Amino acid sequence: MISLTLTVNGADRELVVGANATLLEVLREDLLLTGAKEGCGEGECGACVVLVDGRAVPSCLMLAADLAGRPVETIEGIASDGVLDAMQEAFVEAGAFQCGYCTPATILVAEALLRAHPRPGVDEAKDALDGVLCRCGAQPKVLRAIASLMYGEGGA
Amino acid sequence: MKRLPPFAYFEPATVGEAAGLLAGEPGARALAGGTDLLVDLKSGKERPATIVNLKRIDGLTGVRADGESTWIGALTSVREIEQSDVVGDRHPALAAAAGVLASLPIRRLATIGGNLGRASPASDLAPPLMALGASATVESRSGAREIPVTELFVGPGETVLDHDEIITSVRVPRPAPGMGAAYRKLGKRGGGTDIALVGSAVSVVIDGRVIIEASVILASVGPTPLRSHAAEDVLRGSAPTDAILAEAAAAAAASAVPISDVRAGAAYRTAVSRVLTRRTLRDAVSAARGSAA
Repeated sequence: MISLTLTVNGADRELVVGANATLLEVLREDLLLTGAKEGCGEGECGACVVLVDGRAVPSCLMLAADLAGRPVETIEGIASDGVLDAMQEAFVEAGAFQCGYCTPATILVAEALLRAHPRPGVDEAKDALDGVLCRCGAQPKVLRAIASLMYGEGGA
Repeated sequence: MKRLPPFAYFEPATVGEAAGLLAGEPGARALAGGTDLLVDLKSGKERPATIVNLKRIDGLTGVRADGESTWIGALTSVREIEQSDVVGDRHPALAAAAGVLASLPIRRLATIGGNLGRASPASDLAPPLMALGASATVESRSGAREIPVTELFVGPGETVLDHDEIITSVRVPRPAPGMGAAYRKLGKRGGGTDIALVGSAVSVVIDGRVIIEASVILASVGPTPLRSHAAEDVLRGSAPTDAILAEAAAAAAASAVPISDVRAGAAYRTAVSRVLTRRTLRDAVSAARGSAA
């Protein structure tokens, strides 16, 4: 077992985990942050994507032990005091999900995109969503949600 | 939840320490980006007793333009290579390949050293590195050696490296005047999400109206990325006419030794090898003309 401090959603969390624990396991099972999902478990589907150092990465392919001292953000850290942030509101408004399984990862990717490009083009938004799959086909509404937040109602 | 089997875990701080750990245990595996190794651990394909994480070792990341070559640390992420100005300016074919390697989240974790060490027949980075004459610097406790990427691979998942040797950097020679290179892959869908059914990388050096040097590489059509000497022979000494490029592309396809698998049949891969090589040759010739102008 390994003792480590993970910085998750701005809070330091002292943990004792197996060297073989993935970040996804630790988030879901030790910290009970179940927003990040396991889809394929092989980095193909993106349902487990969280932000590490502000960048969207698959938590199922990262060792928790390897992440000591690096900031991890999950969907649970986006709303504050139960109030959804603007992106989450935009997703609700646009109905940018159906089953919701990919939604935590999709919103995190959208948040990271807007921090890097405050006014992204459609191509930039599509590129940013690469690697987060939605089997329901919500991507057009996801793009609409991002655009409505950036450019006002109806998008660019 | 898919879980990793138990293993002893080390985070060495130097290459020597890492090489010592690898040497001390035949079942040890080096961990870089983890995008292949962790998948193989979960599936049970790999069962190493020990994992040696290389990411705490200083000096293994970054891209530097040295005078005669570009130095790329082995632990540099594929995404960083894709976005590097140095790589984009000097080696656009490599930047293009980095940009279509898997999906974006994977590219942020995957490393150039891991991609080479993994020795996938369908590697996206190996073909352009081979076409560009790149070499890998490999270190162990007994010293360092430089291996041309064209001589690195033995078979699927197998390199010429000894068990305690670690790829520490990749060196790409600065392009000669009149040199142009290109990479294309065909996957089932657009973008990089799919593994290449066929990958093609070529480079040509054009002096006046004649191709004086050529390198023609195909991936996913043999046990390792392979070089078509026959295609290179067609090109060398010839003017880059459509007829010559087509003849070279046919020669390249004849060098392919594909298997049929779940992703594509052998005959299809051979046919695609010809088409892709003709396209990359056209790309490379126009890039060469641009660089000579």
